[in-house]
Amino acid sequence: MSRRTVVASAVLAVVVALVALVVRSTAGGGATTASASGERYTVRLSVEDPRTGPNSLGFEVTDRSGAPVLPDEVTVEPVMPQMGHALAPVTALPEGRGRFRAPAADLPMAGPWQITVSLHDASGVDHVVLPLLVKG
Amino acid sequence: MGAMMRAILVILCAVGFAWGGTVPALADGAPGAGDIQVAQTMGDRELTVVLRRVEPVPGPVHVDVVTHVGSPAGDLRLRLSRDGTAVSETTVRLTAEPGFHTGTLRVDGPGPWELALDDGQRVATIPFVVPARVMSPPQNAAYGGFVAAGALMLVTLVVALRRGGVAAFAPAAGVVAALAVAVTAALLSSSVPPPPAPGSDLDPTVDNVTDPYANARAAAVDHSRPPVNLVATAVGDDLRLALTDGSTGRPVDDLLVHDNALAHLGVVSPSGKLWHLHPVRVGPGDYRAKLVAPEPGRYAVAVEIARRGGGRQLLRTTAALTASGTAVPATEDVDLDRRIAAAGSPSTVTARFGADDLQPWLGMLGHMVVVGPVTGEVADAPVWAHVHAMTPPAPGMPDEPDESVAAFGPDVPFTYTFPLPGRYLVWVQAERGYAVRTVPAVVDVPAAGGAAR
Repeated sequence: MSRRTVVASAVLAVVVALVALVVRSTAGGGATTASASGERYTVRLSVEDPRTGPNSLGFEVTDRSGAPVLPDEVTVEPVMPQMGHALAPVTALPEGRGRFRAPAADLPMAGPWQITVSLHDASGVDHVVLPLLVKG
Repeated sequence: MGAMMRAILVILCAVGFAWGGTVPALADGAPGAGDIQVAQTMGDRELTVVLRRVEPVPGPVHVDVVTHVGSPAGDLRLRLSRDGTAVSETTVRLTAEPGFHTGTLRVDGPGPWELALDDGQRVATIPFVVPARVMSPPQNAAYGGFVAAGALMLVTLVVALRRGGVAAFAPAAGVVAALAVAVTAALLSSSVPPPPAPGSDLDPTVDNVTDPYANARAAAVDHSRPPVNLVATAVGDDLRLALTDGSTGRPVDDLLVHDNALAHLGVVSPSGKLWHLHPVRVGPGDYRAKLVAPEPGRYAVAVEIARRGGGRQLLRTTAALTASGTAVPATEDVDLDRRIAAAGSPSTVTARFGADDLQPWLGMLGHMVVVGPVTGEVADAPVWAHVHAMTPPAPGMPDEPDESVAAFGPDVPFTYTFPLPGRYLVWVQAERGYAVRTVPAVVDVPAAGGAAR
């Protein structure tokens, strides 16, 4: 009887552990990332837990071969295509080594957003469009 | 053996009750139907008709008619009908005081309905769908499974007491099978795609509203319909919009309410006056709005519609009108903060209304109509845009606020990317004190210098 109890509780423990593992892997946090390239630049967007309201959007800017570069100005233009709604552009601040950050870009609604990054330099403007899913 | 059987039965009972107790709560989450708000330009009145939360039937339908400043007093007859037969009628007495006027009507069954508004001179109709309380096939299977499990459990008990443990195994196996069906169906029900919606995807009929799953196999098809052709002509004091299907030539009679109207009409006179009206449906594909032209010439006409099946369309045309009056739309002078970027980059215009007492109009905090670049006649301007400033989302309030909420503003921001350089006519509109305030402006957009887009 006691052996049966031991086996049963062992099986139960394994099941609980498996369930916990599955739940953890699906709920797993971490940054939402996306990357895309324009004519001259490649931009990697990284947002820690995108939620409605102000979000800190981080950008890693490289040239097409992957080397960090420094455009003169990086502006961020959020649009929610489904609602036909554009927000005022914000300027991302340089953090060094090709990294830029828009510390409080307001994304007022949950759903799929389209983040257009405009990179200004001496030879003109390059546009890179990145998707971002915002949770409620 | 008997003790073990009893223990199993107790466990099965407990499981059954536990599942039986949780499932109805899940299924009773009725399909939530929100308010239907429809702006209607009825003669001299600009009305907002609000159909309050049309619940599965039968039951009352509360209709609010919101009047605006300058709306004459008078009676408005409301009539609910289906299949052309009036079912319920009432009269709403509209006072000269702007605000909400309420009437109550009755619907007696699910399906397509029509609300008619009759002011004595014209009859406007608003088609809408009264939903039915519907359960999906997996929900039915879940219920059936649990009911069968319960019944079989009783059978198992009786057989176990009368015939002994071994004979009870057959009905007990049935209990397990029924529970398996019910649990599987309950778990699957959330992942079953909803059927195409009668009203917004399909032409509504009593049959498909009552049982949307009956012919749900067409879910994968594209429900969108052909583009619409627009002809605008003056008929008396009205501008008549004839909408016909671009492929069949038949009248288009499947407009959906989008942004709180069946059709949004923008008209700009040769000298740059804007009318933003909401034509009423007087017949299939026949929409009218009162418009007395103060000057002769070619007027720019733009209509925004959404057809059943999805997608919105902007229909543009011109109308040659003769002067038949003197009244021009009222405008107001409000401070506009302009950050105009070169063509192709986002510009921001912020209207500063001074106090946070703005009301949502057409579900939005504000509207900005853009027409340009103007080089010759306004009617020839290549770009027409209708930009929105949205009301901030209110957590826990799924319905959009109606006009009784006067708590928005004071700043109304718009972001728009002017596609071409040149001179644009711009109007910002927002509602305050049940009056739509229109702020006209002229915006010069510079050409992009050396930009590569």
